[in-house]
Amino acid sequence: MSSDPVLVLDDLSIALATISGEVPVVEHLSFSVAQGSTIALVGESGCGKSMTALAIMNLLPQGFRCSGGRILFEGEDLVAATPSRRRALRGNRMSMIFQEPMTALNPVFTVGEQIAEALRAHQNLGRRAAAARALDMLRAVQIPAAENRIKAYPHQLSGGMRQRVMIAIALACRPKLLIADEPTTALDVTVQAQVFDLLARLQEEMSTAIILITHDLGAVADIADDVAVLYAGRCIEQGATRVVMEQPLHPYTAGLMVCVPHLQPGVMAARHRLLAEIPGMVPPLGQRPTICAFSDRCTRVGNDCLSEPQPPLFTLAPTQAVACLHPLQRETTA
Amino acid sequence: MTMIPMPAHPEMLGPANPPHAPGPSPPLPSPASPAAEIATRLLRRPTGLAGVLIITGFLLAAFAGPHLYPGDPFDVAGLPFSPPGEDLVLGTDYLGRDILAGLLHGARATLTVGAIAALITLVIGVAIGALAGYFGGALGTALMKITEFFQVLPTLLFAMVLVSLFGQTLTVVTLSIGIVSWPPVARLTRAEFLRIRGLDFVKAARAAGAGAPYLILRVILPNAAPPIIVAATLAVGTAILFEGGLSFLGLGDPNVMSWGLMIGQNRAYALDAWWTVALPGAAIFIAVLGVSLLGDAFNDAINPRLRRRT
Amino acid sequence: MSAPALLEVDGLFVHFEASRRPKPAVVHAVDGVSFRIPRGTTFGIVGESGSGKSTTAQAVMRLVPTTAGAIRLDGRNIIDLNGVALHEVRKSLQMIFQDPFSSLDPRRRAGNLIAEPIRLLEHRSKDETAARVDELLAAVGLQPSAASLFPHQFSGGQRQRLCIARALATAPALIVCDEAVSALDVAIQAQILNLLLRLQAERGLAYLFISHDLGVVQHMCDEIAVMYLGQIIEQAPNSAFFSRPHHPYTWSLMTAALPAGPLRQSLKKSYLATGEPPSPINPPNGCRFASRCPFVVTRCREEAPELVAIGTGHWVACHRHDEIDPPVFA
Repeated sequence: MSSDPVLVLDDLSIALATISGEVPVVEHLSFSVAQGSTIALVGESGCGKSMTALAIMNLLPQGFRCSGGRILFEGEDLVAATPSRRRALRGNRMSMIFQEPMTALNPVFTVGEQIAEALRAHQNLGRRAAAARALDMLRAVQIPAAENRIKAYPHQLSGGMRQRVMIAIALACRPKLLIADEPTTALDVTVQAQVFDLLARLQEEMSTAIILITHDLGAVADIADDVAVLYAGRCIEQGATRVVMEQPLHPYTAGLMVCVPHLQPGVMAARHRLLAEIPGMVPPLGQRPTICAFSDRCTRVGNDCLSEPQPPLFTLAPTQAVACLHPLQRETTA
Repeated sequence: MTMIPMPAHPEMLGPANPPHAPGPSPPLPSPASPAAEIATRLLRRPTGLAGVLIITGFLLAAFAGPHLYPGDPFDVAGLPFSPPGEDLVLGTDYLGRDILAGLLHGARATLTVGAIAALITLVIGVAIGALAGYFGGALGTALMKITEFFQVLPTLLFAMVLVSLFGQTLTVVTLSIGIVSWPPVARLTRAEFLRIRGLDFVKAARAAGAGAPYLILRVILPNAAPPIIVAATLAVGTAILFEGGLSFLGLGDPNVMSWGLMIGQNRAYALDAWWTVALPGAAIFIAVLGVSLLGDAFNDAINPRLRRRT
Repeated sequence: MSAPALLEVDGLFVHFEASRRPKPAVVHAVDGVSFRIPRGTTFGIVGESGSGKSTTAQAVMRLVPTTAGAIRLDGRNIIDLNGVALHEVRKSLQMIFQDPFSSLDPRRRAGNLIAEPIRLLEHRSKDETAARVDELLAAVGLQPSAASLFPHQFSGGQRQRLCIARALATAPALIVCDEAVSALDVAIQAQILNLLLRLQAERGLAYLFISHDLGVVQHMCDEIAVMYLGQIIEQAPNSAFFSRPHHPYTWSLMTAALPAGPLRQSLKKSYLATGEPPSPINPPNGCRFASRCPFVVTRCREEAPELVAIGTGHWVACHRHDEIDPPVFA
């Protein structure tokens, strides 16, 4: 791992313009990813994780804008960069794969053409050379019979194959940064595991930095070095994945960990045992309080939580930071 | 702009534990009846308001006009070709008939033809499209063949043939317009039915015990309504234009004053006395515009999912 | 085991024609599936896309035509029922769909949606129906005022609560849950699963629980069947299934679903299936999993294995089930 981070998010805020003024979508988010390492952004729908990804790619939908902070890509501030500069980076030095590979691929071009297009646009490769590299990429993402599949159209491929093609397109120019937005949610479970393995292998080969966006903390623990848990647009816990998973400090992170019924082979399930649930729901956009947004669902809520603004992240352990006035205690003994 | 995600009501969720004792919650504003809601939303849009005002204006003219001008619009009221503002507000035509009286009386005939022809279009089109879309199979294929047959006929020519065969009366003109205009509505309805038939809530309604008539009329049709209503509203405009066209060609009902008839009878003098043709022409233009605006605004207003647009 | 279970599915086949030309293609969506669900229990079906689990659910609901087989509710075959008789059956058989955004008619208010099954299947006065709607809203944890709102005014979790209230309206004995929580966020998913468990305990409901998530299935189900390309390849009570699964495909599913860690890393190499399921159009003759199975032998490609009993209520369809030891998952 190199010491220079590929990407640094420094106090990034994103806002949505509405008729009644600007509404914060993401507030004061900071994290960094080093070469060859992976950070997972974890949270429920509407927590701002996808908007963060789109902001880095400069693909924010109409009405959204970066309202503060910096996005430093290899030291260059992207928020201040010109649109043409950002276009040149996108697809070349940084790229993105999406949740639904069917809609992200163009149905009227063959997969070979779509991979070659990325190469020709950014690397000035000729038609022949691009086609040859496209075939190499299809082999690299382990598509069987790549020579034949290169002429296939997206609808002729299965869901897992399409996601492999998306990965081939995204990695064709050997980007420094790959953003994967729920890349396996639409896939079958066995195929999900295959795709995650593939991503990990290609990451090792190309030492790409990966930002992985997901709603399931448990599913990414193998791949992600670091994790940032987002709630209602704010980062509420951040740290090394293993540490956060083993001992979450924020009540929300802890709740997320236990409310998912993870498979426990060999464990006799008690009949009708209720899951630990987090009551209520995420406050909708535009109705987020300045106090801790989780306070109305929190079991550890105190009076100070309801009067003081949400605290910023502060470091509680060497590799773990939390934004909570009453964090769970770190246990010293196992 | 972008949709604001889920204006959900967190206060509606009762406490999670126990689930059967929902705590007291602030009373929610009780929404008005769907029709009233749609009307409010319709009038809140500038286009909707403009459409409603235009249509209401013409309807008032159609109902009040004959009382303001109780005489026969075919009566001679002054010298032929007297320009607007001299003897009469809007002048006279080549026979000396009052243009304003003609416009007011004609509004009734023109709007009636438009509305009834559109209704016929709607009934035939929706019935055939709904049956073809819901049942599909051999019945659907047969119905779509019939639709295609009607669609390839040149509409104006077909309407002219019908009017020539069955006589130049307002009833025949109206029926002819309805009979030649339904195929696009049928195709649209079928497409919407095919799309909605496969959605989960239709399956859910079947699982809840719904049969074919209930599914067609109460579940699928209301969801297919927006584009069909827009098409029907636009059909009113088309029917008004159609009536004008037929009358212009001398195939309207010569005994009933209509805007088309006024244009048709005065067309030879359009360059010498512009008002004889331009004024009924403007009436047709504004009426069709009003109907189109209304149809468009109605489309937006009836769709509750568009309500939360920023 | 002699008394008829609440629901008995016996040799169910659902085939449909994908195309007639250029050559006939028949989709074998469900190919000879049998299972029984006793009153008040939860039967889980797991499988990947194309396994036929959703088609099985819809066949039980009489939403797709069946090719052959029997579906008995309280001992009575419902496959050929129509009209009034089918209405009677629908009262005891309701369904919750995966996507609460598309399974509620967007043009109706919540109260109207919940009342719909009552109006269609039972003859009750307006007041009775309204009282029942209030009671159902309370049962799923929604305020009575929710009745006058449209589906788009609810969040995903609240909408799924509405779907559950609607499914409960005619006091059914069995609710088919087709991926009922997979579209929900994890925190909301836990709330809905708990609601389903509470309702089951209070009302003695049975669930046919279709899911791709083994963790959820382990938590919810008394008995589990794994489907692959239209067939059940393993079926067992919860404890046997999760302690000693016998089919290589089950191993693959469980390996993929294990929590991240060294155990999953080590099992993945030998037990995770490669590739993706083949098309259910004109499936192969031998074992349908043969093309992806790490333990395939010649016999698997030639001869289709039958379901055989290997323990109490534990069935597996694999030629090599007694040759290969199951992996140790815990």
